[in-house]
Amino acid sequence: MENSKRRFLKGTCALLAGASGATLLATVSASNEAKADPSVKYALIHDETKCIGCKACEVACRETNHVPEGVARLKIEQTGPYGEYPNQFYHFSRKSCQHCEDAPCVNVCPTGAAFIDKETGIVSVDAWKCVGCQYCIAACPYKIRFINPVTHAADKCDFCRETNLAQGKQPACVAACPTKALVFGNLKDPTSQVVQVLKANPTQRAKVDLGTRPKLFRIVAKSGEVAI
Amino acid sequence: MSTRQWLWSLRLGAMALLLSFSATSAEPAKQINSDACMKCHKRNGQMLGHHGQDAMKMTCSSCHGEKGDHPKKPNDLVVFGLNEASETSVQLQVCHKCHMPAKLSSQEWTHNVHAQKVACAACHKLHSPTDPMAEITPKVRSELCRNCHTGQQE
Ligand code: SF4
Ligand code: SF4
Ligand code: SF4
Repeated sequence: MENSKRRFLKGTCALLAGASGATLLATVSASNEAKADPSVKYALIHDETKCIGCKACEVACRETNHVPEGVARLKIEQTGPYGEYPNQFYHFSRKSCQHCEDAPCVNVCPTGAAFIDKETGIVSVDAWKCVGCQYCIAACPYKIRFINPVTHAADKCDFCRETNLAQGKQPACVAACPTKALVFGNLKDPTSQVVQVLKANPTQRAKVDLGTRPKLFRIVAKSGEVAI
Repeated sequence: MSTRQWLWSLRLGAMALLLSFSATSAEPAKQINSDACMKCHKRNGQMLGHHGQDAMKMTCSSCHGEKGDHPKKPNDLVVFGLNEASETSVQLQVCHKCHMPAKLSSQEWTHNVHAQKVACAACHKLHSPTDPMAEITPKVRSELCRNCHTGQQE
């Protein structure tokens, strides 16, 4: 505890000292690199009509992001069976961070460990800043945050920001899905697949009335019959 | 070493070998493996799995049907599996003689969605000592789904 507090203080001091330099640097790199585009806002769609409940997404997330057993960044929740034998079916819905634009977890975090990445809109956790107070866990209306037993910091889906995304790849769950039920992309790019799918399908988001503006969309299955 | 001694040790060795063989591969001693079919199907017919237990009193024909014209083709033998196998409905009929859908459903939800559409042997293997579906890991399981569910219908 002492140690991490010290690291935290040190980090803050360094940050303050570097702040003025950093703003300068930021403007320089922004003008240099057209790539550092702040007009990226990532979102994810779970097409429940295509989901077969294979949970390849769960497995891939655990592997890629080194999520220990007993906790999970992503769960596929199953309800059913519906209908009569031999034509029964199930519904699958994805439970994971909604990447709220107005994120209660970020608003309550006292240390700034929970934050929204301005470049991408990804709600993320700076594990080294987290003191484990669990305010965020209490505040998240979607109940998807947890304390990682290895890092002792709050943890959750970060769209693979530190793993696959950093390597220019699709998030692990998206890449693993055999039926392409998961679509990930930039909401601000009108040509992105995510925008195309959103335009073409009626979608829902969870608990929008709370004003959290979540960015996890679902295409709700009507009949439940899954095509191979 | 005298010839006699040498012979003795050879005999002992051979016996030990035989004993260890019968101990480690106790399975082929199952009744079903002395079935007449084994005269030809020694290699591909060995029944090492659960269904070969003597107490179940099963024979090859319990599942595969009577020999009929076999090995001439066509014949009425039931061939289990995904490829080059009998019609799914024919395969299912055999398994359903003992395995009731309601019971299967209570043990594993995927039975329900594949009912009457996919043959049991598409996933289960009966001849091997253990069914690969027993104690399957989540990873292998999801990979198995991927074999058929490839999302290529779009
Ligand atoms: S779903 Fe929960 S953890 Fe994710 S951004 Fe919203 S409040 Fe934060
Ligand atoms: S986007 Fe990455 S972190 Fe989030 S659930 Fe998928 S694999 Fe896990
Ligand atoms: S990998 Fe795709 S199909 Fe499988 S459970 Fe996850 S979202 Fe559903």
